[in-house]
Amino acid sequence: MTNPFASVAKGLASAIFALLALCMTMVGGQAHALDLGKVDTSHSSASLHSEYQVLGAGELHWLGLRIEPRDGWHSYWKNYGDSGAAPLFYWTLPEGVTVGEPLYPTPHRMPIGPLMNYGYEAPSVLLLPLRIDETFSGGTIDFSVDVEWLVCEIECVPQDASWSGQLSVGNMQVSEPASAFFAAARNALPELPIWSASLSVYDAQSRLKVFLDQDEAPNLAEAYFFPAGEGITEYAAEQQWSLTDEGLFVDMKRTVGGLEAESGEGVLLLTFADDTYRAVEIDAELQIQQPIADAASQSGMPLIEAALPLWQAVIFALLGGMVLNLMPCVFPVLSLKAFSFISANAKTSSERRQEGWAYTLGIWISFMVIVAVLLIIKSGGAAIGWGFQLQEPAFVGSLVLLMVLVALSLSGMFNISVGVESAGQGLATQSGNKGAFFQGVLAALVATPCTAPLMAPAIGFALTQSAPVVFLVFSLLAFGLALPLLALSYSTTLARMMPRPGPWMEKLKEALAFPMYLTAAWLLYVFNLQAGATATLALLVGVIAAIFGVWVWQSFSGQISRFIAVALMVGALAGIIYQPFGGQGASQTQTSGEMQAYSEQNLAALLADEETVFAYFTAEWCITCKVNEQVALFTDDTQALFADRGIVMLKGDWTNRNAEIASLLADYGRAGVPLYLLFPKGSSEAVVLPEILTPGIIRDAVEQNT
Amino acid sequence: MLKQLIAGMAATVALAFAAVAKPVNDQPAPSFSGVTITGEVINLSDFRGQPVVLEWTNHECPYVRKHYGSGNMQKTQRALTEAGAVWVSIISSAPGEQGYVNAAEAQRLTAERGVYADHVVLDPEGLIGRAYEAKTTPHMFLIDKEGVLKYQGAIDDKPSANPRSLEGATNHVLAAWAEFADGKQISMAQTKPYGCSVKYAE
Repeated sequence: MTNPFASVAKGLASAIFALLALCMTMVGGQAHALDLGKVDTSHSSASLHSEYQVLGAGELHWLGLRIEPRDGWHSYWKNYGDSGAAPLFYWTLPEGVTVGEPLYPTPHRMPIGPLMNYGYEAPSVLLLPLRIDETFSGGTIDFSVDVEWLVCEIECVPQDASWSGQLSVGNMQVSEPASAFFAAARNALPELPIWSASLSVYDAQSRLKVFLDQDEAPNLAEAYFFPAGEGITEYAAEQQWSLTDEGLFVDMKRTVGGLEAESGEGVLLLTFADDTYRAVEIDAELQIQQPIADAASQSGMPLIEAALPLWQAVIFALLGGMVLNLMPCVFPVLSLKAFSFISANAKTSSERRQEGWAYTLGIWISFMVIVAVLLIIKSGGAAIGWGFQLQEPAFVGSLVLLMVLVALSLSGMFNISVGVESAGQGLATQSGNKGAFFQGVLAALVATPCTAPLMAPAIGFALTQSAPVVFLVFSLLAFGLALPLLALSYSTTLARMMPRPGPWMEKLKEALAFPMYLTAAWLLYVFNLQAGATATLALLVGVIAAIFGVWVWQSFSGQISRFIAVALMVGALAGIIYQPFGGQGASQTQTSGEMQAYSEQNLAALLADEETVFAYFTAEWCITCKVNEQVALFTDDTQALFADRGIVMLKGDWTNRNAEIASLLADYGRAGVPLYLLFPKGSSEAVVLPEILTPGIIRDAVEQNT
Repeated sequence: MLKQLIAGMAATVALAFAAVAKPVNDQPAPSFSGVTITGEVINLSDFRGQPVVLEWTNHECPYVRKHYGSGNMQKTQRALTEAGAVWVSIISSAPGEQGYVNAAEAQRLTAERGVYADHVVLDPEGLIGRAYEAKTTPHMFLIDKEGVLKYQGAIDDKPSANPRSLEGATNHVLAAWAEFADGKQISMAQTKPYGCSVKYAE
């Protein structure tokens, strides 16, 4: 490899030579083309030019630096993309003279393996603004500049050169021979901003919207945006564009958690069908969009906004745990606990306290087990978050079984120790404690998918901390959850207020079975989404087998029947856990009440029912689809509008090949997604919405057609 | 050969995990395993309990040369390893590309340049590099003792290959470390890396 130092030395030598030549011409008073010198460096050459032969005080002038990389090599734009470096200038100038940031010609895209660079494979000219104060009184400007620029083929070689000399100041005079050079340089610059634009930056995408008319860009073959700043796009990712009545849209993929976007500036490159192009500077209004809260589909853990001090996280955890008592998922279990209070009158105060602590212990131990498992899985590098166990169908299936058995027990089919069955009878302390402990476990298990206010920041904080901190925060969360009922167990006033036990308690107990059945129903719904209809059937068979096993156990007392009963129950549980028929989930988690998966049949059935249907076709890899969904479709306003008009949403997911969707796309003359169709009540003729959605477009379409 | 095969398999498994974890600050850093120039197989999880610094390097890249030729990189390595960090230098150049070295050459370079890195990992398939989306040499990452990513980006704020640019430069890694060691939030936790592209295998 060439020694760059030698080349720099060579470059310097030629610069000095050029300078000498320059001085000589100046002395001769014969200043022609103000060529301030050409330098040959190891892998490129560079020359500096002045547009004016004589500069004027109080005026702005332009210098031009032409960089010519060797064949096959390239230099860089001001934003070099993934790797590289922009040219650097170190000026030495007299007081009252400044040189500003260079103007760059329109860059090219240069993919390198998985990376993308922006720059120039051909000679390029950077224009440097030189401004002289009005107060400048000297007749000449002594300047020197060191310039460093990078050229790369695959390897990179920094280039380095210096220029110095004198520029005359007096009555401004253009250098005629330089005019062609500067005209060509200006021609290579992007046009000044002529269109207003906005740049919306989401978590994983950015969308540039340029307000131009369709007839301003006829036969557009491609639109590409070179962002000047960071945090707008993943450079190597493809951009998707569409030209609509509303303007030109360019959608870009963005690195989640990457650098923050700070500027909406850049260059828009429009390439036309006849291979001509037009490059225009963009100074877009930057709009940083908050990620849409969609806790259900975000399996990742919440990001911490700021460093939360430990004491605050601890308080949040405690309060969050207490608030958790009010969340709907915990409520059915709490009603069990409440029931055991009704029998408080029959117990001594020390028994009540012991039960309160047993309940607390049950919650705490369950939380610790869940956290320990979470930490173990997380240490393997998997991104999982709180409530992860409910993403596991085997766990959900087991929970369904448990809930059904508890509910049946409450209904009076049989007795398992949940701490309420013996209410009103002479209650043995020990079984009361066991029951309370079990209630604690149950409360913890159903509480985990719920997030109460204040909990999210505490959990988010804890999961990035060391293990002792994690256990501390979660212990307080557990304690917070247990606290209200624990406190009540200390209250003798409350115990005295409880009515005398009697037959009515049996009825109340039976009534409490129903919230438990509902909990089982909800879990079954979750399971169905995760594992599909066949697996749901298998689960139900398993549950029934287990109940049958319990019945056999109770009805016959022989050894053989006992054995059959146990075998049935173990078999049922094993079947639920191993899920021989487990399959694909019915749909993605992002299923709101009114949304169904698209199929021809489904659509036909809805239309036959005189429903208004909004069918949208999307794919995980379609950036435009995702942006549309964030910007327009899954906004509160649009969803409220759909709910208001009773519109049923159908989602066609084209992430994987799907012949039905492909044929529908073909029917509408589309080769791909997105496609948005609004079927007015009962009509099989759809209104086709544009590829780029705004809330306004959807609203207008809905209002005109419903 | 067998060792390389095993390491390759381990790296593939690591990549499967890494595909889940992306290099995002304040989230678990992608786990990886790799073979060092001494033939040892190391895992990121081996260093749980100690902060880890990852440095992407290519001894022929002029930007890397600026930091090694001037002793700036060694100085940074020394400061952080003495403060308790594990320093892992990673070479993701593919065979035949600039910066690719075999273990013997890498050992010679390490000795010659007075490197303070604890481990130098050879990643000719670019698996670790891609998992961390390493873009340039140098490209730096700081991981805390729980394996959570804390800093990613450039070594300093002067995107130049000229050693004189070191004067007055702010070393982002040292600055991040100073705040990190005090238990503070790192004020510049992400910067744009500069330098040569990582010479990945196609």
